[in-house]
Amino acid sequence: MSTPSLGDRQAALVEALTAGRPVPEGFDAFRFEAARVALLRKRAGEVARHWPMLATSLGDRWKHEFATWAAARPTRGSLRDGWDLARERSRHGALAPVAAVELAEREAAWRYDGTSGPRSRRTPTLGTASGAVAVQVAGRVWLLRRP
Amino acid sequence: MAETYGVGIGWRPEIAGFVEGLPGLRFAEVVAESVHAHGELPTGLQVLLDRGVTVIPHGVRLSLGGAEPVEEARVEHLAAVAERLNAPLVSEHIAFVRAGGIEAGHLLPLPRTREAVDAVVANVRRVQAAVPVPIALEPIAALFDWPDDELTEAQFLTEILDRSGAQLLLDVANVYANARNRGTDPADLLDHLPLDRVAYVHVAGGAEHQGLYHDTHTDAVPQPVLDLVTALCERHRPPALMLERDGDYPPAAALAGELDAIARASGYPAVT
Repeated sequence: MSTPSLGDRQAALVEALTAGRPVPEGFDAFRFEAARVALLRKRAGEVARHWPMLATSLGDRWKHEFATWAAARPTRGSLRDGWDLARERSRHGALAPVAAVELAEREAAWRYDGTSGPRSRRTPTLGTASGAVAVQVAGRVWLLRRP
Repeated sequence: MAETYGVGIGWRPEIAGFVEGLPGLRFAEVVAESVHAHGELPTGLQVLLDRGVTVIPHGVRLSLGGAEPVEEARVEHLAAVAERLNAPLVSEHIAFVRAGGIEAGHLLPLPRTREAVDAVVANVRRVQAAVPVPIALEPIAALFDWPDDELTEAQFLTEILDRSGAQLLLDVANVYANARNRGTDPADLLDHLPLDRVAYVHVAGGAEHQGLYHDTHTDAVPQPVLDLVTALCERHRPPALMLERDGDYPPAAALAGELDAIARASGYPAVT
């Protein structure tokens, strides 16, 4: 049996760290887990910088809630990670009013299809999320309704 | 770096005002990926450049240790940023950050094998073909090792530097973290590295969780890391040392205190 290449082994390691795949053979499981948890904590901090209201609205639970959601989802960048999480919470009726306002304003300002990176909108658009409504005209965003 | 710069700091937008107010500052570092290749520079950074402060672009996403060739667009961006900043040097990590199409979101360690040395050296050569200034490579802090290391850390690093011609960006906090977590003596690594190849040095804080020391960059610099700065400078004082802080920023007085502590530990003048 041939030895797997460096590339294959690196891919297996990244999948174990970010996508919930098993820890590759031979690694110290305790230390690997410590690295996995530290990585989720770091991601939570980065997403909080992009989505301050989403993070603030969850208070002490933010890191835990984010880590639970992100455990098997490799990062697609902090902006999109926070966006995906905010939309999911909105769908489940679990988005606090301040976070709903934050999401509605983003939805008004940017077009984000959930599969490729967000792009600024060029035409006037309404953004809605969990009862919050924002409008964007010529690049400026106004909040029309608080939830 | 040929010139002596003394104590510097990692420039971040959150502490731009503080950095701008440091009267003796002669060098700083900026995360390369946070700088636009064209377009305007952040205000605080432009002020430093206008004052003649040397600013080094520090890449974090090249993935030099990836088995696949480093992405051309990323290398071009680094080259463009180096040119914009008129930097005498760029830096990156001996690590990989993605594989199999997945972003790890973090710097990950390489197995200390000849295959990994080959991968890093090939990628450093690709970078050096496009970036007109030298590159310094930073060994990372890792919470785990690969199970099949063939080389010691010093052998692994020295071989990469020798074969690629790169300089060394030595992070003493990483040296401390790795030694503490492996139960080895951090000074021992200093004795086995080519210290005359150190372009500059990172100093950062960390914290212990569940018996492991984490290189967080969001905690204060602990005394043993400052002691290691002194131990390094006794062997071979590097031309520049800088504080790396990446969040949970303390009040300005505390940040200034950390810079002063690095100055005292290295024997360079205070920049505050």
